Amino acid sequence: MPVSKEYIIKRLLLLVLVVFGVLIITFVITRIIPAHPELLWAGSHPTEEQLEKARRQLHLDKPIYVQLYYYLTDFIKGNWGVSWRTKHPVLKDIATALPATLELVIVAFIMAIIIGVPLGALAALKRETWVDHVVRVVSVLGASVPVFWLALILQLVLSSWLGLLPGAKRVDEYVVIETGFKPITGFILFDSLIQGNFAVFTNALKHIILPAFVLSMYPFGLSARMTRAVMSEVLNEQHTRSALAWGLPKRVVIYKYALKNALAPVIASLGLSFGYTIIGAFMVELVFVWPGLGLYAAMALLSYDYPAVIGCVIVVALIYTVINMIVDIVHSMIDPRVKL
Amino acid sequence: MALEDFKIILSLIKQNPVSLTGLVIVAGFIVVGVLAPYILPYPEDAWGEVYHLEKRFLPPSLEHPFGTDDMGRDVFSRVLLGARFSLIIAVGVVGLALLIGVPMGLIAGYLGGRVGTILMRITDMFLAFPPLLLAIALAATLGRGLVNTIIALAISWWPWYARLVYVQVNSIKSLPYVDAAKIIGLSPLAIMFKHVLPNALTPVTVQAALDMGSAILEAAGLSFLGVGVKPPTPEWGLLVTEGWSSINVAWWISLFPGLAILVTVLGFNLLADALREASDPRLRRILLISGRV
Repeated sequence: MPVSKEYIIKRLLLLVLVVFGVLIITFVITRIIPAHPELLWAGSHPTEEQLEKARRQLHLDKPIYVQLYYYLTDFIKGNWGVSWRTKHPVLKDIATALPATLELVIVAFIMAIIIGVPLGALAALKRETWVDHVVRVVSVLGASVPVFWLALILQLVLSSWLGLLPGAKRVDEYVVIETGFKPITGFILFDSLIQGNFAVFTNALKHIILPAFVLSMYPFGLSARMTRAVMSEVLNEQHTRSALAWGLPKRVVIYKYALKNALAPVIASLGLSFGYTIIGAFMVELVFVWPGLGLYAAMALLSYDYPAVIGCVIVVALIYTVINMIVDIVHSMIDPRVKL
Repeated sequence: MALEDFKIILSLIKQNPVSLTGLVIVAGFIVVGVLAPYILPYPEDAWGEVYHLEKRFLPPSLEHPFGTDDMGRDVFSRVLLGARFSLIIAVGVVGLALLIGVPMGLIAGYLGGRVGTILMRITDMFLAFPPLLLAIALAATLGRGLVNTIIALAISWWPWYARLVYVQVNSIKSLPYVDAAKIIGLSPLAIMFKHVLPNALTPVTVQAALDMGSAILEAAGLSFLGVGVKPPTPEWGLLVTEGWSSINVAWWISLFPGLAILVTVLGFNLLADALREASDPRLRRILLISGRV
């Protein structure tokens, strides 16, 4: 369905504004709130020279608005500072780590939809029965479980004790070396599939199941609840009831009319849960040693690698903003009633 | 929400076994949180000031229902006292967020115009961060500790309440009784705080009370990432984290505090879910889609 050009332009303008806002807030947090910003940027146990260098890099001797100017231009130029832990530029580290996280989050979302939507639909059809109650508790559980704890427990039981699934890393090194696998995009599942390297593909698939499952808990709960809410509403509406009265089979009505109507809100809710999921990835990647943005951010936090922490914060906020914009546009395509 | 509505909701909760479970859990959590320091089987273990070499890594038993940790401390006592800290964090975060968010939303909504727009744009800037991300950045800047954790979470939290109050105030301010108050010459401040605020406050306080579960969950996440409370504070998230290094020899150290988080947050969320069901589902859905909840 067509979306007006103005709508997209308006949305893009809003995006620019939001990005500006994100930068302002991070500026306030990193430069104005701390009494001595250079202490945070100079790594742990800095020498006086390092402190002096950090002061110069941050332009701390200049007035605030000049500092802000440098902050914004450095951001645009890609000068995001150097990580104390890896000694690489932060932006480069982030670019290397990002595909692994996106792959994990995408698989988690696919899992969430595959489990959540049918369960939510089932609950709507069996409203106020024990099936409905069970689905409700399970879906609320998804939003209530501490992801890092679930990750630890599942890793312990399914990987360490039972040995069913691998509990760390994206892929086993030996498979990569044996088959001479060379990643192209950094999305291992995708790369191995288009290269026809099924040994790496199945190995990577096994590795992704546990972390993706843990991460899928929150979007799963949300999609199940959303599907249930929308479906039970749609099933009560005139057009579905008359379709049933006309003698259309219930199956057709459910799949063709009711479920289709539930699609737009489910997509919107999943878009919103993206932010929660990527923060969950900080913790889940730390547990499963998944070499993505989350592990990078978590390690940075644990080792007081402040430039890396702030870089991750900005990147995640930007991704979140862009995803929200895309979701809004897609949503307005599916459901023309949605306006900015 | 008047007393009548409250009674209706309470009866709805009573009818549904799942919602009732939520109510019981939340009530239980509050009772334990308040009484915790007086019912600890091993008070010194709970506060974390001791080291029992001979009692390290004991599995769960009658004497130590949740086992002992790497310093020989009773995990059950630590989890019990953890309820107290979770309660403090939850009340602190939500209370502080209300203290910032409610006046913000009230002023923006009532004054409207340019001031209102600017205030709400500032709110939107905060909402551009995914949940917990801003708190992580703040906590990393402020350093570890109970108070810093509460501040970091509250500052990432208040915009939701500002939004909610803003929407409420916007619908209230055009009601005839507000016009009447203006005509008799009451000052804007008096109208705002005496006549508009009380009527806008109920939905946001209900929401806030139920958000306490999420506050507990997020505080635990901060602890896990090393920017939450300081050891040896028996905060549940930190207890799980402390058990991580020895999870292969003593799974109970991490399992039980995690379960405590799960059950408590589940209780709050089930209750929240029940209220959502009870109020207009269509409205709630719109709010949810537009990211205002």
